[in-house]
Amino acid sequence: MDIRGSLRYLDNVLILMIVFSLALFSLFLILPLADMISLPLAFTLERLVSGTKTGYSLIELFSDPRLFRTYSTTEPVKISQLSGSTLVNFIGWNFGVIPNTLIIASLVTLNTTVLGLVVAFIMARYDFRGKMLMRVLAYMPLLMTPFVNAFVIKKLFSFDGLFSYIINSVIGLPLKINVDGMFGVVLTQSMAFWPIVYLNVYSSMMLIDPSLEEQAENLGARGFKLFRSVTLPLSLPGLAAGAAVVFIFSMEDLGGPIAYGFYDVLSYSIYSNIKAAQNIGEVGAYVGALSIVLLALALAIFFGIKRYVSLRQYAMLSRGGRWIPRVRKPKLVGSLIIYLVVLPVMVFTAMPQIGVFITAFSVRWSRAYPEGFTLDHFASILKNPDVITGLSNSLKYAAIATTIITVLSLSSAYVAARSRLQTLNEVLDMISTSPLAIPGLAIASGYIVMFTSWPFKDTFLDPLSIYGPWLLVVLAYTVRRSPFATRVIYAGLQQVHVAYEEAAMNLGASRLRTLATVVIPLLGLNILSGALLAFVYSIAETSVSVTVGAIVAGQKPLTAVMLDFLTGGRLAGLQLAAAMAVLIVVTQLLIIFVTNVFLKQRYAFIGV
Amino acid sequence: MKRFGNVYAAKDVELDIAKGEFFTLLGPSGCGKTTTLRIIAGFEYPDSGQVFFDEEDVTYTKPYERGTAMVFQNYALWPHMSVFDNVAYGLKVRKLPKEEIRRRVLEVLDLVGLRGLEDRYPLQLSGGQQQRVALARALVVEPKVLLLDEPLSNLDAKLRIRMREEIKKIQRTLNITTIYVTHDQEEAMSISDRVAVMNQGRILQVGTPQDIYFRPKNIFVATFIGKSTLLQGKVVKKDADRVVVDVGGEARIAGKLASDSGIKEGDDAVLVIKPEDFTVDPPGEPYNAIEGVVEFSMFLGSFTQLRMSVANQNLKVFIDPKKEVKPGSKFVIYVKIDDVLVFPRSEEVLEVA
Repeated sequence: MDIRGSLRYLDNVLILMIVFSLALFSLFLILPLADMISLPLAFTLERLVSGTKTGYSLIELFSDPRLFRTYSTTEPVKISQLSGSTLVNFIGWNFGVIPNTLIIASLVTLNTTVLGLVVAFIMARYDFRGKMLMRVLAYMPLLMTPFVNAFVIKKLFSFDGLFSYIINSVIGLPLKINVDGMFGVVLTQSMAFWPIVYLNVYSSMMLIDPSLEEQAENLGARGFKLFRSVTLPLSLPGLAAGAAVVFIFSMEDLGGPIAYGFYDVLSYSIYSNIKAAQNIGEVGAYVGALSIVLLALALAIFFGIKRYVSLRQYAMLSRGGRWIPRVRKPKLVGSLIIYLVVLPVMVFTAMPQIGVFITAFSVRWSRAYPEGFTLDHFASILKNPDVITGLSNSLKYAAIATTIITVLSLSSAYVAARSRLQTLNEVLDMISTSPLAIPGLAIASGYIVMFTSWPFKDTFLDPLSIYGPWLLVVLAYTVRRSPFATRVIYAGLQQVHVAYEEAAMNLGASRLRTLATVVIPLLGLNILSGALLAFVYSIAETSVSVTVGAIVAGQKPLTAVMLDFLTGGRLAGLQLAAAMAVLIVVTQLLIIFVTNVFLKQRYAFIGV
Repeated sequence: MKRFGNVYAAKDVELDIAKGEFFTLLGPSGCGKTTTLRIIAGFEYPDSGQVFFDEEDVTYTKPYERGTAMVFQNYALWPHMSVFDNVAYGLKVRKLPKEEIRRRVLEVLDLVGLRGLEDRYPLQLSGGQQQRVALARALVVEPKVLLLDEPLSNLDAKLRIRMREEIKKIQRTLNITTIYVTHDQEEAMSISDRVAVMNQGRILQVGTPQDIYFRPKNIFVATFIGKSTLLQGKVVKKDADRVVVDVGGEARIAGKLASDSGIKEGDDAVLVIKPEDFTVDPPGEPYNAIEGVVEFSMFLGSFTQLRMSVANQNLKVFIDPKKEVKPGSKFVIYVKIDDVLVFPRSEEVLEVA
């Protein structure tokens, strides 16, 4: 169909939806990023063409010893003596900002892939006692405890932490361990992100037609051979999707680097430079150049994987036959692996979240473990004006963002699902899912670059104006969290046969009336669960919150207040931040409960 | 004309449908009949060509401004609305007063025999009841044109026959212009005032059911409608519309020229005969006597089906079931010359055969 022919199918409402979606994404996603990268790119071009250095260009990135080194300034493992015990320090390397970021992301992706794959295989193919417990444990790291979990892990694995205490005092070995630096970041992120791989692989495995594995078995493939030749290849799309998200999340993470004071990574460099630049009133080409690296890596991985996954979407729903999932009881070796290796590892990865809860209710944590029980921290955060302001700011921002997200996601999903403009649908699909891959810190620096200068300077969009940054924070939440709702609504639209809408229009209902009386009521549950999901993820947002959101004290969202408590050297700062994290987790659990039980929607997880 | 990619979904479709007429688009799946219907409803716009309602050009009018009402193949009853709300929808859109909506909905539910079920939800209804709700929802708005897209294809055989009688009756009562799409030729015959037979996006013949059945103009129509058996041969004599064809060996069969297209002596021709037109005794009118060997005989209750070999070609013949015929024996059957239709041989024939 030619373009002119397709345009005939548009009406005012569809046009409005297209314009609204494209305008919002252009103004608050594409243009700020483009504006941010234009400056260093211009300097780079100038330097390449005329050879003169007019500003910070991408070429400087490679000659800056802070960013790139051929040697490590630290030894990965160092052994020393400490009060009669051998102290093993796991520190890791430091090759400079860019190599560090890539090393950490690669190690974290490797760790999470192995653990996620093993757990997914066990959960999808075996039936055993304690499976429910394992399922719950696997969800634990997904509970949102911004920043606090990283600090808890650091405490658990320091030389005077719980693990050294157990080895030293409980078991009685003259050995202490200390995890710090790069390895600390890797440990923290691996523990936090592995369920993303697990959930993606698990759902892939559950979609494999059992007869495909039975056929392979029938032809003589068994055990590992069967896994390697059939199960694993068919789960690769899920594996790739999960691994890509982990890689991107790792590069973007701020909690780990801040907790361990491991500042030579891209995320922290961008963060600290934005903080410094706030005072000057502009973000320079240096932050822009760093953000370009972060953005380019993330987008390359995201679109590369997305393409790969779409090429590998095998039609696995074969016709006929019975669909009995292949679950069986594990044999002896299998049981040993499940109970002695996998289960302890999972308990271990759930410890930060458990630790956050315990911390929030404990009097002090000055020795190896938290001590005493108290509700004082909750009482004191609820009396603290900063916390109250942060909490109400977060609720307010998230509520406004969720409202905009609902309209935006409905518009972009509806257009992508129903319009006849093939190219537009593809572009819109690409733009509306890309925020999953775009690091929040890149968005934050883009916002500061674009909205502090002409023509936005001193308008209500300028974060440095008298209006403060709150509106930008809301819009950042909107753009960053809309994909969660868009996916749920899009999935719902594919279940609603287009004939329902045609029947309404055929009887004289306009597009708007059809939307209001047919589409929205039929999609109600999807819209509601998408909105709830977007809401809770908005509250837990960190990257934009601690940068743009922290510019004006009275406008800080809760996560920025939490970071202040953790890094401000405050008395019982950890316990107070943990108490705030508990508030967020309770909200999250409530929303998961509502979407699962009342709305009967599967908890939408994070993937490509 | 309507194109999807490089495929012509509907081409050279020219129809003139009269007010109050029950008009059917008949053809195999993928022939373009549903696309044509959707163009009339406004869900598709043609790449070229026009659609008129009376004198008004509605080619690019939005579906909600056309005043058609459609019954969908899968009914498309809104699951979140009761039967009443489903049926009342079109009237509410038209902003009629509440009491009038209520009166008209109950009236139309009476008409389709669903009075008393107005508070049910679609999922609580049987397939036949859902079908009636869909019909009521379309009828209640008194549309300029009623469009039915294979409305009976999801029902079982018995219900299908009952529903088609009801649809016909209601259409007669309301005298509503109706366009019906189906692939079932028996359904089309039984229900329509006129039928358009379509294939590969083209309309091959438009006429009354009798026209289509007895006077097919085209070999596709002749073979698609009813059962038929074919013989191929060469024209040896042509006299006005009477043609004699040599089908091989000594066998010569006379028939009636069916197509307008010219055919002359020496041309390849195809004979189309309905198996039920054969008789075992000579009929009163001019006839052909055809001798062949019975290869296979199958008793089917109301008739016996034979496969006969005539001049090395197969012939399907239905005869009186009381007549006993032994496979392998020589046998003579008769057919009226007027019941043998002669078409020029074309590529299409091979496809159909």
